[in-house]
Parts: sequence; structure tokens; C-alpha cells
Amino acid sequence: MAELQKDPITRSDFIGFTVFGGLIGAALTIPPIAFLLHPVIDVDVLGETDVDQEYQEVGPISEVPADEPVVFNVDFPIRQIYGDEEIQDLSGQGEGSGTTLTNAVWLSWRTETDEDGHAGESFRPEWLDETTEGLTPEQISEAEENLNILSNSCAHLGCPVRWVLIEGEGEFLCPCHGGIYDINGGYVAGPPPRDMYRYVDYEVRENGRLYIRHEYDAGSEYPENGPQQPYVV
Amino acid sequence: MGMIGRVRSQTADASKFVVDWMEHRTGIVTLTEHFLYEPVPKRGAWLYTLGSATLFLITLQFLTGILLLFYYVPSIEDAWNSVYYIQEEAYFGALIRGIHYWSANFLLAVIGLHMAQVFFSGGYKAPRELNWVVGVILLLLVIVLAFTGYLLRWDQDGFWASVVGMKIGSYTPFVGGATIHFLLGGDVVGPATLSRFFALHVWLLPAALAPFIGIHLYLLRRHGVFGSEFEYTERLAKLHENQRLEEYARYELDEGEEEYEDGENGYGDDYGDRGDYEDRRS
Repeated sequence: MAELQKDPITRSDFIGFTVFGGLIGAALTIPPIAFLLHPVIDVDVLGETDVDQEYQEVGPISEVPADEPVVFNVDFPIRQIYGDEEIQDLSGQGEGSGTTLTNAVWLSWRTETDEDGHAGESFRPEWLDETTEGLTPEQISEAEENLNILSNSCAHLGCPVRWVLIEGEGEFLCPCHGGIYDINGGYVAGPPPRDMYRYVDYEVRENGRLYIRHEYDAGSEYPENGPQQPYVV
Repeated sequence: MGMIGRVRSQTADASKFVVDWMEHRTGIVTLTEHFLYEPVPKRGAWLYTLGSATLFLITLQFLTGILLLFYYVPSIEDAWNSVYYIQEEAYFGALIRGIHYWSANFLLAVIGLHMAQVFFSGGYKAPRELNWVVGVILLLLVIVLAFTGYLLRWDQDGFWASVVGMKIGSYTPFVGGATIHFLLGGDVVGPATLSRFFALHVWLLPAALAPFIGIHLYLLRRHGVFGSEFEYTERLAKLHENQRLEEYARYELDEGEEEYEDGENGYGDDYGDRGDYEDRRS
């Protein structure tokens, strides 16, 4: 073998070339790749999110009737490439005028349903007809137990679902591929693999209003999925 | 010779001089001839224009895209407004954007026809397999270009189409989530998403498209379009040669049959007549 080497490389040369080449290679490739993958590293490795984790107001729960869901638009402030909050404030583009992510949140009261999704008795608290503010802790926990807080993003491919009435009976219908859910967000028909996404972090406060954070759940049928990833909206 | 005739011959001389001068220094005339002229079979000759049609539409995309960039503003506050401005106020804006929009739609249709033509004529076979592979890369690049261009309008249509597209991509095993976060520039749609789609649509993908178009054309010129006259001649010659050999073998066989009439292996190694042999044995 040795005679084949016209230009013999010593061990120390080899080490030197390897280390030097490795350093040059790293210097040329790591910065641009890390630059591009910054969001992937933030989200998938460090588990960060762009969405502000404060509770945002949805609306008064007394506005939600027994037999029909109501949609509320909730704006979550997000921080994405528009820089430090302090700088945004200084430049007059702070939180107030900052970017938000709008989620359409469907609220409904838990309702008994049969296998085909036909609605039965509603669990809407009766005291809501008189009391809309100044709720007691018992009333708050009763309301929290019986509210369905649903994302309008279809569990199939994320199209916005809406409530439609067909022959007097209502259902959530996805306009893209015809996924159908009942008033509780339970799967009835179509391509979705599961129930509608539910917001898992919410609280009803004394003023009779609902507040949520931007976090969906994977649904009771698929607990192993954890919170939905990726959110997209 | 009248005056007009003299002018004509002088002009011809001058242009011949310019052409010769350029040819001598750059070889551009030969190159152009080589690039533009390609023998194609008479039968179905129009089908061979589908590739040129694709190239023409891509060129239109580049040209109108460059024009649109003079007005388009890639930020979530201004994107929709700037598209509206292009459409309603900029002179011929609706025309320029219309050409960009419609030629993008036609592009995908023409690519489909082009692929169908190559597929059904068998034009992907040896030695042109790599050109098919390069063509598929081009197809994928064009699809991603169409996908990323959709969001840039930042209207409800483009927004939700992109959300659905990314949700579809998120089902990809193992890398789905990371790919979507790369495209989103975070974990939700926001200003970073528009910036990234803009960067992909306007810089990265067109820059990637151009060299592959070059390779596609180079390979096309290297092998010629499938079914050219030359190729037919060669194939016919090969066919005739095979027939001649077959006949020759059969002739040899006939002689052999007489010779080894009561022998066991009179048919030798000739596979061509194995069928006959077995028929006779049964």
C-alpha cells in the first residue's frame, strides 16, 4: 500500500486536516442552517410557543343558549419576528398595536346525545337566566363542568367548521370535506379522525365571563396525542 | 442593378459581417442553431411543443413575477392592500397579475399534459431516465411554488388554503411537525409565515428551478426527443439485423434436424425455437 502513496500523509497531518476541515465545514454550514431552523429549534426542541400565555376573554357565558352553540372571536397576542417587546413599545408598535392570532371559539352547553348525534337534554345551568354576574364558587364550577369550549379548526385538516341547521337539527359541518360533529364537538361523520379540539386551559370568573389560554387538547379518545401539534392556528 | 438592390446587398453584407464576427468570437450562431433546431417525427409533431409551452409559461412567471415585486409588500399589514393596489390602481396591474395567476394555473395543466405525452410515448426509457427524474424534480418545485404563492395574497382564500396544506403536510411521519414549524416560522400562522413563504416563492424556489431547467434542456439536447427519425432508423436497422439472425438460425436448425434426426439434442441451444420443439415433443 505504502508505495501507492505518491504524497504520503502523516498521522499528525491527517489529524490536522480533519480538525481544520471540520472547523471550516462547521463554520460554513451551522450558521445558515441554525438561522433557518430557529423556529423549529424554539418550538420542537425548547418547547416554546409564539402565543402569549395570558388568559384572554372569550365572552359572557350567559349569551350561550341551551340548544345552540355561539362563536366568539378571541385575539391572542403573538410574538413572531417583530422583535423585543421593549423595542416594539419604543417604536410605537407595542402589545396594543401588535400582531394577534384570531381564533374562533365555539361555546356550547354539554348536551345529552344519542349515537347519531341527535341532541337531548341540555346541562345549561338554570340560574344563568337570572344571574349573569357575581357568580358563587359553586356556580363557577358547575358552569366550568358543563361548558364545551371548542376550536373551529376541523380535526381533519383545519378548515373552519360552522354550525348549520338541517331540518331543524343543528350540527357542526366542515366546509372542506364534510366532517360532521354534534353540539358537544363529538365526532359524528366524515373524514375527521376524532372529536373537535377542545381548549383545555380555561376559567369562568365571578363576572360571568369565560377566559381561555391558547392550548387545545387531543380529545378524550386520543389522550396519547398530547396537546395538538402543530397548532397552525 | 438599381439603388434598392445595392442597398439590399450592402445590408446583407453588413449583417453577414456582424454575424460572422460574433460567431468567430462566441460561437453563438452555432449554439443558437443547435439550441433551436431539433428534428422531431412528423407524426404527432404538435405534441412535442408541450415542453416548449411549459418553458414559455415558466418564463412568463419569471417576467410577471419580477414586475409584481415592484408593488407587492410582504408584510401582514400591507400584503393584501398592495395586491389590491396592483389589481385596482396600478396601470395594467390587473393584466400583469392576471397573466401571473392564469399562467400559473395553465402551467400545472401543461406540465400534466407534457408528462402524459412523455409517459405514453415511452420517452422516459433508456437513455432518458434521468431526464424524467429531473422533470419530476421540476414538477415538485413548481407545485411548492404554487403553494407558497397562494398565501402571499393574504386573503381568506389563500390563508385557509395554506392552513389546510400545512395540516396535510403535518401528517408526514417523523418530520411533519418540524417541517410545518419551519414553514410557519413558529408554531402558529403569523408575520413570520408570510416572510418565509415570500422568501421561498420569490428567491429560493425560482433559484432552484433555473438550474434544473438547464439540466433538463441539456439532457434533452444530448439525447434528442424520443422518436426522432434518427432513432427510428437505428431501431429499424437493429430490428432487421435481428430478423436476419433469426432467419439464419432457423436455416441452421433445419439443416440440423436432418442431421440429428434420431438424436436427442438436435435443437442445440437455440431458445428461439424452443416452443416449436416442445410442440413436437408432446
